[in-house]
Order: sequence, then C-alpha cells, then structure tokens
Amino acid sequence: MKSLVLITGAAGGLGKAFAAECASRGWDLFLTDTAEPPLQALADGIARLYNVGVRFETCNLTDPAARERFWETIRAESLRFHLLVNVAGLDFEGPFAEREAEELCTIVRLNVEAVVAMTRRALAFRDPARTFRIVNVSSLSAFYPMPVKAVYAASKRFLLDFSLALRRELKASDATVTALCPAGLPSNPPVIKAIEAQGVIGRLTTRNVGFVARKTIDRSLANRAVYIPGLINVVLRRLGSLVPRSFMISLLGRRWNLDGKRPKAAEG
Amino acid sequence: MNTQNDAIRKAVLVTGATSGIGLAAAKALAGRGFHIIGAGRTLERCAAAQAAVSAVSAGGLVEYVAADLSVQSQVRTLADIVRERLAGERGLDVLVNNAAFVSSWYMASEDGYEMQFAVNHLAPFLLTRELLPLLARTGAGRVITVSSGSHFRTRMRWRDVMFRTGYQCLFVYKQSKLANVLFTHELNRRLGSQSPVRAYAVDPGLVDTGIGEKGTTGLVKWIWSRRRRKGVSPEKAAETIVHLATMSEYIDPEASYWKECRPEEPSPYSRREREMTRLWELSERLCGIESGDPSVRDFASAFALTGEREPILIQGGGR
Repeated sequence: MKSLVLITGAAGGLGKAFAAECASRGWDLFLTDTAEPPLQALADGIARLYNVGVRFETCNLTDPAARERFWETIRAESLRFHLLVNVAGLDFEGPFAEREAEELCTIVRLNVEAVVAMTRRALAFRDPARTFRIVNVSSLSAFYPMPVKAVYAASKRFLLDFSLALRRELKASDATVTALCPAGLPSNPPVIKAIEAQGVIGRLTTRNVGFVARKTIDRSLANRAVYIPGLINVVLRRLGSLVPRSFMISLLGRRWNLDGKRPKAAEG
Repeated sequence: MNTQNDAIRKAVLVTGATSGIGLAAAKALAGRGFHIIGAGRTLERCAAAQAAVSAVSAGGLVEYVAADLSVQSQVRTLADIVRERLAGERGLDVLVNNAAFVSSWYMASEDGYEMQFAVNHLAPFLLTRELLPLLARTGAGRVITVSSGSHFRTRMRWRDVMFRTGYQCLFVYKQSKLANVLFTHELNRRLGSQSPVRAYAVDPGLVDTGIGEKGTTGLVKWIWSRRRRKGVSPEKAAETIVHLATMSEYIDPEASYWKECRPEEPSPYSRREREMTRLWELSERLCGIESGDPSVRDFASAFALTGEREPILIQGGGR
C-alpha cells in the first residue's frame, strides 16, 4: 500500500509550490482543486519533473455532496495518506457591506468548514504505518482582527486555533498539526500587484512561495506548531502582541483603507 | 524596399509580438512583405499590435494569436493553429522565439514549472519541436531565439533548475537566457550541417523595453528602469532578427550567436556538449516528449524524403 500526500487547492500558486516541494522529496501526490485541465497539466508536469506518482480528482470543497463523492473515490481505491496540506481557501476582499452575503458565506464554507471536513475524513484514511502530518494554511492575519478582511481574517484565526488544539489532541496518536501563517504570498500576478501596492511593507513581509513551501514541510516534519515565514513577520507578530488589540485594529484599518479596494487574493 | 511578390511570400511566426523587440521585428518583416503571425498573451494587446503591424505591411497577411506560452498545452495549440493557417502555403520560413518573462518572485506555471524557465526556455523548445516539419518544408527554415548577453558568466543550476529555493530574479533570468543559447547549439548539432533548418541565438544588447518592469518589484524594477534608458530602441535591436530572417543563404554554420547583425562568440559554457545534451534531454522530459521519439535529425531527414507531406514519425530508434 502506497501512501500519498493530499493537497487541496493544488492548482493555485501556493498549492503548486507545495506539490513541487512534496514531489521533490519523492512523495507521491493526490491533488484536488475545482477545475480539471489545470490539475491535469500540473499532474503531468510534476510527474515528469520529479518522477513520482501524481493522481488528482476535482472537487468543489464547499459542497458536502461533492466532498462525499471525493472520499468515496479514495475509499474505492483504498488510498492512504501520510500528509494532508489544506491549501484551498479564498477571500473576496472589500468592505463587508459591499459584498454579497453568499460570497461572505463561501469564505467560511471553504476556509473553515471544508478544512474541518477534509481533516476529519483524511484522518480516517491515514497511513497507519507512518506519522500523519497535517498542514493548515492560515495567515498572518490570523493574529489580529482585520477591518476590510473581517471574515477572511476570522476564518484564518479559526484555522490557527483549530490547528493548535487539534495538535494537542492528536499528540498521542502519532499525528502532527502545523499552521502556516504567511503574510501576502506572491503566487500570481494579481497578488504581486497587490503586494506592490503596499510599497516597502508589502515587499519586506513577502517571501517566495517556493521557499515558503519548503520551510513549511521542514517545520511540519520537525513537528512545529506554527510557522511564520520571514523574520520581519515574526518580529511584527511579537510587537503586535505587546500593544492592545483595539490599537492594532485601528492601525490595520488605516493601512488597508489607504488605497481602497484591492484585487482579490487567492490565498495567504 | 525589398518586397516579395505573392508567389514567394514568406511566413514568420513571432512570439511576444505585441510590444518591444517582437513588435518591432514583426513591423520590420511586415514591411518586407512577410506574412506575419504574431503571438501575444492577451487578445486586447494582440488586436492593437495587429492594427499597428497591418499599417506598415507591404501586402502580406498579418494575423495574431493570443496564447499564454507559460502553459504547454497552449504552446501546442499555437503550433496547431500555425500549421492550420499555413496548410496550403510553402511552410514556415522563420520562427522568432522572442517572448520572455521576468519576475521578482518565484511563480509556478500551470505545469508546475518555474515561470521564467517555462516561458523563456521550455516554450521556445516545445514550439520549435512542434514547428520543425513546417520550417523544414521551406528548405531554408530559421529558428531565431532571442537570448541575451546576460547568458555570459552563468551556469545551469542543475540541482534546482526551477529555483524553488534561493530564487534570485536576475540569476533565474540569466539561466533562462543561457538555456536559449544551449538550445540553439544543440538544435544545430542534432540537425546536422545539411539540415533544411538552422537555429540562431540573438543578443539584442541593452534595449529600451518594458521586459524587466512587468513582473518585478523594488530594487530589480528600479535598476531595470534605469538601465533601459541607456538601451537602444526596439527597432534597432530587431535589426539582427530581420537580418537573419532575410539573409539569402546560411553563412558560417558555426555562426549561431549573433549581435548587431554580426556573428559573435557566445560563452564557452554554452558550447559544452554535456550541458547542451543535458538541457535537451531535460526539456524533452518536461515537455512530455518520450525518450523513444526520433531525434530531430531523424525528424528532418524523414521530412526531406517525404517532400510536401507531413513527416512520418519514426517510432523507436533514437540517436
């Protein structure tokens, strides 16, 4: 029985980087995302470059029925996993009152509900012979309530707390949980534009996704609870914890409102 | 002006033909009567470039195709479209692999490869492989790949060609431009001296184009924007491409690296057969070309035997 790495949101910028990173370690992959052609292209490309087995299955993770079908496939093929990377996540950025209710709920459904469901199901399909590792892509925004990203930041906060608690719970069963909390990740052109729009701060808080993927897996293997890429982000996080939350919120609000709306960010 | 009559109208495919050197080359060749097929990333920019090139055309058709060359399936589709467009013609006389990309950040292409390597090297490699029969059909096809003087003092970073770690924009760019020269040398080596197709790498020099400012940030963007001011115009830089596309015969078969309309000596590293072969084999693998495929040499000679028809793929064999 071969055990695989399951990566959700695999066709996005960070997902592709995780796929390449895990494949470069010789691990076989199982990828999922919403559309088939990009998954097929990625699977072919990764398999050629790293000479590993890559399988994929499309799934709209916000749909419980689709998730059910996904796990039926896994069961039918009796696959087992040793690593789950929950990358899939989204944000519709902009002031709360300007977004549709369903959009806002979709953020919660994907960033929160889907991660909970996928993690629970994956546990049932863990490779019993190996340590089971879970990586959840949270965000630096998990540490503070963020105006203009209220739902997104709260969903990432959920992932951080969920990861930390689950980590303790699973300790005895030889499973680990690591939360990745990056600042903006320059994984595709719109996000790069958004980072650029933040000026020096945007650039300093940003790390390459290839590097972040590698370090995240390193930290997961070292059983670390949280990984914040970039020293400056760690420092910012420490400083941020010294000042009252109400002050941080107004500070962050000011920063985000400076140049109004931004293009939607896929992950981070 | 040296225009052609319809009977011998030549066809050229220029990638990245919506701005900079590619647009300038398309205009210059259109002015010399070429049938232009330009490729660009967005329909909008293609439409604008098509209008600009048509305006200076000396009677040849000007067509544009929008394709994202970072995606291998789109490179293949582009090749399909070119084959279809030129189905009744004499073939493709010139392929100008000009499209290139610079990014401050590591980005993975749809196929999971580093973006600069995918666009700057793998796309030209795959497009050339796909169009080789069409180029051979003209009896004197040319593959012109826009490289750069930045290929000097660079080596291939074999242990992590995709720069997933230690990504430095300029090193990644330099490697991709070195790959262009290695590819050109290896293609010529495999085609042999009697081949109906020859490959050239062009060093356009320092050119005043926007290439270094589209996907970059901070210091790199600043340096690039300063440097470009000292550069020559895209029109000037395109002269070497036009020269190679229009010169009546092959000169010295060893002269594969050109600058300012003259052959120059490329970096010694780019002539190392081991590196040339290694890159070729890696590129074939990354483009999903089976190792059992016939080599380019078999490809070209198979074509020579079958005349006007599409070449027959000889399975098995190898070099």
